[in-house]
Amino acid sequence: MTDAKRPQGDKLTEAEAIERAKQGDAEAFQFLYNLHKRRVYSLCLRMTGNTAAAEDLTQEAFLQLFRKIATFRGESAFSTWLHRMSVNVVLMQLRKKGLQVVPIDETMEGEGEGTVRKEPGAPDERLAGSIDRLQLQRAVDELPPGYRTIFVLHDVEGYEHNEIADLVGCSIGNSKSQLHKARIKLRELLRTNRAEKAGTGKTGKR
Amino acid sequence: MNCLQFERGLPDYLEGSHTSEHQAHLNSCSSCSDLLADLNFISSQASSLQALDEPSPKVWNQLEASLRREGLIRQPLVSRPSLVDFFFRWRSAWLVPVAAALIVVVGIKLYHPPKAGDNAPIAKQTAPSKPAVRTPLPVSDEDRDILSRVASRPPAQQASYRADLDAANSFIRDAEESVKSDPNDVYMQQMLVDAYQQKQMLYDLAVDRSLGEQ
Repeated sequence: MTDAKRPQGDKLTEAEAIERAKQGDAEAFQFLYNLHKRRVYSLCLRMTGNTAAAEDLTQEAFLQLFRKIATFRGESAFSTWLHRMSVNVVLMQLRKKGLQVVPIDETMEGEGEGTVRKEPGAPDERLAGSIDRLQLQRAVDELPPGYRTIFVLHDVEGYEHNEIADLVGCSIGNSKSQLHKARIKLRELLRTNRAEKAGTGKTGKR
Repeated sequence: MNCLQFERGLPDYLEGSHTSEHQAHLNSCSSCSDLLADLNFISSQASSLQALDEPSPKVWNQLEASLRREGLIRQPLVSRPSLVDFFFRWRSAWLVPVAAALIVVVGIKLYHPPKAGDNAPIAKQTAPSKPAVRTPLPVSDEDRDILSRVASRPPAQQASYRADLDAANSFIRDAEESVKSDPNDVYMQQMLVDAYQQKQMLYDLAVDRSLGEQ
């Protein structure tokens, strides 16, 4: 079913806007765009790490959606439909550029050293309470593209591993292992950034 | 279970596959406990990055241009001049004064003064006296469209639309005949333009009210 979202101050509901957009109503198109632009743009920005590319992909995602709006029947939420289209647009673009969407067949098996190592004398300080959203955003932007894709799709956007496997063309096991590595990498980045900020010079890698 | 074994089992652990060995190791190892806490924190905070940013206005501008180029945005049937926008807001309240204005304008036309230098009797300058509002005229496709858009309104309002439509059509017909008889009559040319605009106002009102009912 379509979402009956009614942003404050607007007369239209999302369902009404969809029907009017099918008739070519410019205001309806703009209403739908304003309703979903932040989510789509943020997704594109998180996955590309580039504002110009994110804006181009946002425009492309909405254009593809609006081209097909006449076929939308309301069997699923409009936002789900738009979101899936946005992810496909981004992934297609990443593949076109030759960027590695997801490293192939990398798992935790066979790795020599673990992440957890004790640094003698290093104080243990958990991230909770010392990291804000902006720092997390910056750390995500620093992730390698493959890790970033999986992390954004799973932890930020809420896709399940089986859905991610379909979207990016990998196995569920690969999706899980890449997610874990992405989180480990983020932890390293956040601890390093925190240490640099504190001026201790310690890397914080454990 | 040692730390390496614990870490290798973390992906499944985070997906919900908890074992007693994992729990025992967590109870005894602060490093692994901190690692687990940090990974859970990162995961829990990630959703706050949704819908965080906003694209620049040019994204919509370019998108709108593309939609128009591809014909996905379709222009309304008539463009609405600013004068009509002003009257549009009056909704049904202005129908009566507009109808009255039509009658007044037609009356002015009937008593149109002769041009300077023209000594011809007034009778030659004006068309034969005609009633301001005639019997209902044949319905054109445009008129049918207007009437169909107000078909769901109460009968009294439908009748009001029909009367205003007849008045507007009469006004247009009279103005057209006057312009035809004297194409150089700038005054009547303006009257004809006003007549078309009056009918356009009726159409726009009918369209907007029918959209409001959807």
